[in-house]
Amino acid sequence: MKKTTKPEFPVFLQELTEQDCALVDAFFSEFDLYFLLSKAERKLFRLDFEAAIMLLYGQGVPMQEILSRLALSNLGGFYARPSTVWFPLDDAAKIYPISMEHGRQLVFRLAIYLKEDIIPELLQMALSFTVKRFPSFATTLKKGIFWHYLDAVKKHFPIEEEHDVPCQPIKVSLSGSQPFRLMYYKNRISAEFFHVLTDGTGALIFLKALVSEYLRLCGVTASKSDIWNVNDTPINEEFENAFVKVEKAETGSGFMDKPAAQMNGRMVRRKPCRLLHFKMDSAELYKTAKEHGGTVTAYLLMQMLYACQAATDELTGDIHIQVPVNMRKFYPSKTVRNFSMYCGVRVPIEEIGGKQELIANINAQLAEKSAKDKMREMITAAVNLVSSIRVIPLVIKQPIAKMVYGFLGEKIYTTTLSNLGVVNMPKEFDEHVIGMDFCLGAQMTNRLACTIITCSGISTFSISKMTDDPTFEEKMYQLLTNDGITVEVEGSEYYAR
Amino acid sequence: MHVKQTYPSVKRGSKNRRQMLAVLRWPFLTVAAACLIVNAAIAGPFWGIIAVLVLYIVWRLILSPDLVEYNRMSQSIKIVAWVSILLALIDILLVHSFALFVIPIVCFSGLVVSIVLFFTDLRRQKHNMLPLILFEVVSMIGSGIVLCVWKDPNNWPYIVLLSLSVLSFLSKVIVLGRDFKIELERRFHIQ
Repeated sequence: MKKTTKPEFPVFLQELTEQDCALVDAFFSEFDLYFLLSKAERKLFRLDFEAAIMLLYGQGVPMQEILSRLALSNLGGFYARPSTVWFPLDDAAKIYPISMEHGRQLVFRLAIYLKEDIIPELLQMALSFTVKRFPSFATTLKKGIFWHYLDAVKKHFPIEEEHDVPCQPIKVSLSGSQPFRLMYYKNRISAEFFHVLTDGTGALIFLKALVSEYLRLCGVTASKSDIWNVNDTPINEEFENAFVKVEKAETGSGFMDKPAAQMNGRMVRRKPCRLLHFKMDSAELYKTAKEHGGTVTAYLLMQMLYACQAATDELTGDIHIQVPVNMRKFYPSKTVRNFSMYCGVRVPIEEIGGKQELIANINAQLAEKSAKDKMREMITAAVNLVSSIRVIPLVIKQPIAKMVYGFLGEKIYTTTLSNLGVVNMPKEFDEHVIGMDFCLGAQMTNRLACTIITCSGISTFSISKMTDDPTFEEKMYQLLTNDGITVEVEGSEYYAR
Repeated sequence: MHVKQTYPSVKRGSKNRRQMLAVLRWPFLTVAAACLIVNAAIAGPFWGIIAVLVLYIVWRLILSPDLVEYNRMSQSIKIVAWVSILLALIDILLVHSFALFVIPIVCFSGLVVSIVLFFTDLRRQKHNMLPLILFEVVSMIGSGIVLCVWKDPNNWPYIVLLSLSVLSFLSKVIVLGRDFKIELERRFHIQ
C-alpha cells in the first residue's frame, strides 16, 4: 500500500492538544505487545495505525473515538503468537495447486461497490483486523511429500490499488506469500482468491466481514446481522474439510463426460481479456424468469444457451454449461473452505429451439443433476479418488493430474454459470453498499465464464472473456432487453489490444 | 451495447511469464534438438546429452521456476542436486573418474551454504526446511553406502559429508524441538 503519511506523524502529534497527545501515547505504549513479528513488519503495522489516526482526525473524529475504533484489542493475539496452525487442503482444493502452471491458476474475484470512494488507510486497517478471524486465509501454500497444504503465516497483509488485469494469477511461490489479494479502485473493494483457499461462499463471508469492519472504522455500525464478527474466536467447524463429513453413496460418479462444443473466437494470450457486468433490477429479472417458468439460474442458462449457439460455428455437438452447486444447502456447514460441487446442463445444439421446451429441459436437468443424491455420488467419487491416491508422492501424481486435468478439465464444458445468490446486508449498510459483482478468472479452453450475484436489489451478471469475439455478450444483451429487462453494461476495456 | 468503463486502464505490453515461456519454448527445443543431431552426426562423446541437461536446468531454475515454495532453501538444494547430476553425467560421458571425488565436495559445500541460509533466517526458514532435510537424508545414506563399499584414503569428502549431514540434521532437531516434529507431520500428511 502506498503510504500517505504527510504530514509526518511526529509533526501531527505536535499539533494535537496535550490531552489527545497523551491518549495517543497511551495507545502506542503497548503496541509492541501485540506483534511478535520482525521489526520491519511491526513498522508497517505502526505506519498503518498512524495513517489511520491522522486520516480520521483530519475528518474531525474525536481522538478518543478514533482510538476506540482502532483499538489494539481488535488484533486479538493473532500477531502476538507464532504461527503453528496448518490446514490440509480440502478435497476440492487438492487439484488446484497440482494443475497450476505459469499463468494458469484458478482465481476468482468478488467485488463490492460502496457509495463513497474507498479510503485505503481504513481498508488496510480493516484487513488487519479481519484476517485474524479467518486463519485459513492468513496462510501460505506449501508443498508436502504427498499433498500441498496451507501453512499459517503471521505478517502484514497489504492491500493494493487496482492497476492490473483482473483475476491474474496470484504469486504463491515465495515464503509467506498469501493466496489472495485485496484491492481498491474508486468506490470498489475487490478481493481475488486462489480457489485453493475457499469457494464463492467462503469468499463472500470474508468480504462481508471485511466490509463490515471497514464501515465500522468509517463510523457505520450494524446492530444485528449474519456477518461474522471479526472479534469472535474462530472455531474448527469453520475451517473443516466438509467433504469428508458427507455420508458416502454406494457408487461414485459424475466426473467423466464427453467433450462439449466450444464457442469460436481466437483465445487471447492475456486472460481474461475483458470483464463485463450486466446490471439488472433483481425484481425485474426474477419476474421475467418466473414468466418463463424457471428460476433466475434456469432463465439465464436458457439465454446463455441461445448466446452460445450464436457464438459457435458448430452445427452439431452439445452445449454444456457447468453450474457450481453449493453443498452447504444439503449439508449445513459453517466452513469457509471449498464446499461446492457442480452439475452440468447439456443440450445438443440442434435441439436448442423454442423457449418453453428449452426452459423445461433446463429445469428437468437442474432438478435431476443438482439433486442431493447426485451430489452425494459426486462427492463420494471425489473423496474416493483423493483417498486412493493419497499415498502417491506429489512428484508422481502431479504430472499425471496435470495431463488428466488438461484433457478433461474444461473440455467437457462450453462455459460456466456460477450463481452466488442474493447477498443480504444489514439495513444500516443500505446507504453505503450499492452493489456487488463476482467474476471467474482465466479459462484455458472455454471462451468465457459467467457469474451472477444479487445485492442491494441489483443482479449483476458478469462475463469473463477469453476472446475478442463479442457475439456472446451482444446476443445476451439483445435477448435480455428483448424480454423487457433493462440492462446497464459496465466493464473493462479489451486488455488484449 | 454501450459499456461504461469501470476498471483502470492497464499498461500495454506487460507480458506474463506464460507468454515468455511460450515464446522461448521453441528456441530451447530447437537448440536441444540441434545439439543431439549435431552430436549424433559428428559422433564422438555424448556431449549432446549434457547440453540438453544444461538447457533443462536453465529452464527449470531460471525461466520456469517453482510455482510453490520458491525460496532460498529449495533453490540452493536444487542447484546442488542439479550440479551433482551434471557432474555425474560428465564423468560418465566425457571425462572419467573425477565425479566420485568431486560430487561429495560439491554436496558438503552446498550443505554448508544451505545451513548458513537456514540458520540466518530461522524464523521463516523453519517452514522451508523439507528440501534440506531430504538432502541431508540422501547425503547420509549415499555417503554411508560409499564409505562401506569404497575403502580408500581419498574418501575424506564422504566422511565430511556424512558428518556434516548428521550434525546439521541433529542441530535442527535440537534447535527446533517440537517444531521439527510438527513440520514433518505437515510435510508428510496424507489427509
